[in-house]
Amino acid sequence: MISREMSMCQAVFENMQLLPLLPRFQIRLGFGEMNVEEVCKAHQVNPDFFLEIANAYLDEAYIPGEGLSRFSLGTVVDYLQGTHAYYLDIALPNVEARISQLLAASSLSDKEVALVSAFFQDYKQEFLTHISEEEQDILPYILELEKQSALEKPDPAFLQKLQVYSIREFEQEHERLETSLEHLSRLIIKNLPPFEDVQLCQQVLHDLSDLVKDLSDHAHMEDKILIPRVAELEKALLESMHKP
Amino acid sequence: MRTAGFILAIDSYLVRKGLVSILTRIQGIRIVQEFSDSLIFQQYAQKQEIEFLIISQSLFDRSSELFVSRPGLLEKTILLKESPVSPDNTPNSISLLEGKEQIVAKIRRITEMHSNFHPRGFSSELTQREKTIVRQVSLGLTNKQIAETLFLSTHTVTTHRKNISSKLGIKSVSGLTVYAIVNNIITIEELSSKPSE
Repeated sequence: MISREMSMCQAVFENMQLLPLLPRFQIRLGFGEMNVEEVCKAHQVNPDFFLEIANAYLDEAYIPGEGLSRFSLGTVVDYLQGTHAYYLDIALPNVEARISQLLAASSLSDKEVALVSAFFQDYKQEFLTHISEEEQDILPYILELEKQSALEKPDPAFLQKLQVYSIREFEQEHERLETSLEHLSRLIIKNLPPFEDVQLCQQVLHDLSDLVKDLSDHAHMEDKILIPRVAELEKALLESMHKP
Repeated sequence: MRTAGFILAIDSYLVRKGLVSILTRIQGIRIVQEFSDSLIFQQYAQKQEIEFLIISQSLFDRSSELFVSRPGLLEKTILLKESPVSPDNTPNSISLLEGKEQIVAKIRRITEMHSNFHPRGFSSELTQREKTIVRQVSLGLTNKQIAETLFLSTHTVTTHRKNISSKLGIKSVSGLTVYAIVNNIITIEELSSKPSE
């Protein structure tokens, strides 16, 4: 677990899993003697928020603390968009390029190549749909909820919607994007003939495993930090309606 | 895909973490929150919706008011006892003396009883009929063709396809094909030269 007084260098050195998180906060290396809080402030990042995310990443069983109510949902939404952009612009294209390279240099049959290519294309499509649904429906809803909560007189139409919709529904339907990728790894390990380029094949398996881990952490963070905070706000707004 | 959310209210650190390590291996189950203190747990439980709860005997004894005020909660609760539980005892008790398989079986029973959760890893096992359908989907057959081969209505095949997708969390034909290969439902050699539509 990391804390605000900890040296940022030490925090990252001991927890290399934090590395992919840093660019999502626009945090660059070269921390010098700065502690976690100082680095966050230098990059206009809310330290409480950074700590919540980092600790949720490091410990599956991490329970969000009081820090949760100290940052705005706008901050969370920014972070989620940053993460989505990382998947779309970096992680997925990297895996895709490596897989094509692996297939091109392999002695796989046409049928096997077609199977893997079709799988990855379909996966990518599902991934894009999933993210665009979140960006078009869920994130704007969250921002609107926060805006309405701050108003003296919230919009009655929004309140009406709130009585029938809750973020918990989204949570129920929240699909896991990592499952299919795990099957692809198994296919390579178990069923496909061995690839001649052993290094590249290992790299692809590592990429897939990193992406699976990252997606699962991302879902964990949405379930443990974002949704409880949104649900809290929904509840407070609904209760305020019944007050005179 | 739906996952079953569990709250753990157990005062012993070792017991709680032990249970976490079992639960996290059961796919389709999510640990929502852990508590060791009865007051903090009760504060939480007053405000939040609880899907499933595993609670130690001592915290349970100290939370009696909560169970009075939340009548539906008891049936979604598994009580963790230090003493052995007799086999005909309520299915909602686990003893610290029980083995992993028994514990997993009881958790599985309570999640299945109360909802249509399909925790992956056990109840997500496809039925024989579903496996047949996955096989035919992998071979490139359309729902209509599958219906004709199996003497079913297209509607029934569509329903099977939906159930398969929600059990596995896989929608696409290519995703199902890879699943089928990895799980020995079909071999790569058997695929037609065009593995998906």
